[in-house]
Amino acid sequence: MTVRILVVDDHPVVRHGLKFLLDGYRGWKVIDEAADGLEATEKAEQLTPDVVVLDISMPRMNGLEACRLIRKSVPSCEILMVTQHDSPQMMREATEAGARGYVVKSNAARDLQAAVEAVSQHRPFMALTSVPTN
Amino acid sequence: MKLRILIADDHELVRRGMCSLLREHPGWEICAEASDGREAVEKAKQLRPDVIIVDVGMPNLNGLSAIRQLAEHDPKFKIIVLTIDDSDHVIKEALNAGARGFVLKTDAARDLVSAVEALQNGRMFFTGRVNDMVLTGFLERGSGNGNSASRLPSLTMREREVIQLVAEGKSSKEVATLLNVSTKTAETHRSNIMRKLGLHSIRDLVLYAVKNNIIQVRMPGSEVAQGQAAGVADFSAHGN
Repeated sequence: MTVRILVVDDHPVVRHGLKFLLDGYRGWKVIDEAADGLEATEKAEQLTPDVVVLDISMPRMNGLEACRLIRKSVPSCEILMVTQHDSPQMMREATEAGARGYVVKSNAARDLQAAVEAVSQHRPFMALTSVPTN
Repeated sequence: MKLRILIADDHELVRRGMCSLLREHPGWEICAEASDGREAVEKAKQLRPDVIIVDVGMPNLNGLSAIRQLAEHDPKFKIIVLTIDDSDHVIKEALNAGARGFVLKTDAARDLVSAVEALQNGRMFFTGRVNDMVLTGFLERGSGNGNSASRLPSLTMREREVIQLVAEGKSSKEVATLLNVSTKTAETHRSNIMRKLGLHSIRDLVLYAVKNNIIQVRMPGSEVAQGQAAGVADFSAHGN
């Protein structure tokens, strides 16, 4: 069954990069994009993706707040944070907001596939710059 | 013959995104990628791409320093600067360093293709505000916009490289290895810099580097305000 993914980042060129990486895998499909947390929550409710790949620092509504709202309104949807914040504290806040996965952008090429596989199966995947802690 | 493009950005996601955008153009190919300024300069010298896209904020050697080195090596290199920062200082530095295109990262998906097309056809490309600045003669010599950067003592290209490496936390020995000089030479550069700039500690040097966009800043932890990108220099790495 196809894993349906919503990609959320305020930089279009980063969304392009994520789509490029994600669409390359059989069984995954990027169904839509959003440029901020508010748009992400609206689209998640409409489209009920399996996974939301979500940046943290965004205008209008940041990723942590969007994560909380999406987890409430679409409980079946898992959140994978893909962020520049390479910080245990931020990872903790993301987990408390309901994220199942956390990947640092600078390691996205290394970790994204394993992260999406894990969270789409409702398993956690948390990785900071050092070593994946899955 | 295809237009050959080199992309330099320290974020792989951004490189993937740019490659994906540019490869849609049938007459273009990505001949190389680089993840820091030093690698960008080396690859550009070897491969001689037609267009070079350079991110400003990169470790090891930042984009502005890389552009200066490329322009000095061959003024015919066609360079597009990619940045999240469109402050007066960055724009002026980029254009004076030799860039002929200036694109904001937030607008890259919209503007990058147009920028490459422009440079391919021998024209310049600037996004909105930069265009206005160029038209109002910002780049005229002696325009005196009151920017303190214009009153800074002049540093050599090598000294700017050393500032970045030291501000990134590298020891004199590491600087020497990276620049292929002796440790003594690296230390001499360091003391010359401190003397020229009137600085008294590494912390001062880091502050100088941040203020003058030689290094970028990252903020720790949960200090994320809505709508703002993150960042703060990590001072813990630097003794005083």
